[in-house]
Amino acid sequence: MDMVSMGLLAAMGALATVAGASEDLESDVGSQSNPNSQVQLAAQVGHPHRIYNKAISGEPPSNALYAALAAVTASVLMSGYGMNAFFAIAIGAVVAAIFNGIFSVTAYMGRNTSQARFNQYVYLDVLRTHTTAIMAHAYITAFCVVSISYIMTAPWLPIQHPFPFPLVALIWGLAIGAIGSSTGDVHYGGEREFQNYIFGAGLNAANSGDIVTKAEAGLRSSIDNVWFCARFGGPVTGMAFGLTVFLDNWRTTIFDPATQGWYAVLTGIVIVILFIVYNRILEIRARKRYGPYPEYKGDIEA
Amino acid sequence: MSVAAGGGAAKIDKTKLMMYGLGGGVLGIYLAHVLNEVTGTTYFSFLAGLGVIAAVVMGADATRRVCSYGIGTGVPSIGLMAMGMGLVAAMFGLSIGGVAGPIIGIAVSMGFGYFVGLLTNRIIKMNIPVMEETLMTLGGAGAIVLIGLGVMVSGVIDYRTIIGNVIDTGYIAIIFIAGSLAILHPFNANLGPDETQDRTLIHAVSAGALAMFATGLASLETIGSEGIISMIVAAIVWLVFFRRFFELVKRDSAGVKGTGLLPEGGL
Repeated sequence: MDMVSMGLLAAMGALATVAGASEDLESDVGSQSNPNSQVQLAAQVGHPHRIYNKAISGEPPSNALYAALAAVTASVLMSGYGMNAFFAIAIGAVVAAIFNGIFSVTAYMGRNTSQARFNQYVYLDVLRTHTTAIMAHAYITAFCVVSISYIMTAPWLPIQHPFPFPLVALIWGLAIGAIGSSTGDVHYGGEREFQNYIFGAGLNAANSGDIVTKAEAGLRSSIDNVWFCARFGGPVTGMAFGLTVFLDNWRTTIFDPATQGWYAVLTGIVIVILFIVYNRILEIRARKRYGPYPEYKGDIEA
Repeated sequence: MSVAAGGGAAKIDKTKLMMYGLGGGVLGIYLAHVLNEVTGTTYFSFLAGLGVIAAVVMGADATRRVCSYGIGTGVPSIGLMAMGMGLVAAMFGLSIGGVAGPIIGIAVSMGFGYFVGLLTNRIIKMNIPVMEETLMTLGGAGAIVLIGLGVMVSGVIDYRTIIGNVIDTGYIAIIFIAGSLAILHPFNANLGPDETQDRTLIHAVSAGALAMFATGLASLETIGSEGIISMIVAAIVWLVFFRRFFELVKRDSAGVKGTGLLPEGGL
């Protein structure tokens, strides 16, 4: 362990935190991933809406595409044309954001068109105002993820991961998509789309698609949703991804994997156990404090 | 055919699409190889990319047919599975077959797909009638996409060159994921009760062109500035087919509005 490695580790943790937050917010502007099924159902149960329906794919494959594309572009610019890493990664992230915009537009148009019988219109102003916000978040995510991958693979830096740069970016893209999907979506799907139901009540299957389509004033847009998610869902996703990157690399930075590999494995196990215990305590406290969780009264006879 | 997630009946027959996909894919890959070898350049690599677009259309149609059944998984899983099967088979074919490698790879991948389909229907008992046939088609499409984009980056059908240019550089990352999205995105993006086959397939062409463009970027380093031809061709194909997709959106949708409130009954 040296100071350079620790500095790089801190930089990776910080980049991952920003990337996690922007990834979750990017998916929230477009209602990608889990909450998407409810947006998709809304028109079918009689609630046409003006919410963005960005069904590109699940978050892991789409973020893997942005990260891999940005890394490939950066790699070509660096090794083929001798460009400085910082500018190469920035240009790579721009290309990724453009691809993100194209896929978002086709997904919004396609999904809404396929609901014609439910009177779901394709609103071009929704496309104009929201796609740019989606692309901006995708740019930040791609830039941060590719920077992490570059730090891990650059030949002049100490980590020197054996995998090639674009492949590491692909794996981190998949990872950030998975974490964004599992951590942040709950806040948007459970708490924003269904804010007219009692907190903690869960979603009865009969209420599927009954999402909030009207805002405090006017109709609800996805920009309103991302404003809400930026309060908690986005930052908490950032923290989850930042901690994942930081703690995972921390244990292999303090213990040399070549000579002290088992210490790194044991540290990993200890970290996982600590988190399980912490999560359990947090869950019990939340149940007690926020309820209502009525006691089970037995089955009601028909 | 009235099904859960997908929309109207197929206007283009699946056998015809399979012929175009397989024929176009193999033709594109071999034309790129032969013309590059004969002329001693890499100007014709873009032809492999055009072959890939044909295979993507075939794969997107197979995705459409199998995912219409509500198979209990997301559409993306099917596209990624196609590329997974294609990757193993393509590398196997190229490593043992030399110039005949693509044919062997595609055949093995299709056999692989058929076998996986048999397993899902007979062992897991999903009992989805089109499973064997669609997974076979998807396996073939995955293999053509991987080999085609690999040849686009390398310029020739040669195992060692493809390993050096595609695997060692890490460009397999973009080939794999852009190819997967090209196969899975068209149906995923058009999913719904009023989905139409022509709109999904036109979208597949534009998504295939995006995969070709992304891989063309990678080929700028491996085959040099000739790679720009692939990017320009891909950009033109994308532009033409995106405009056609928008025309079909206007044809099929309840209404394309500049702005406006919700329709009657929505408030």
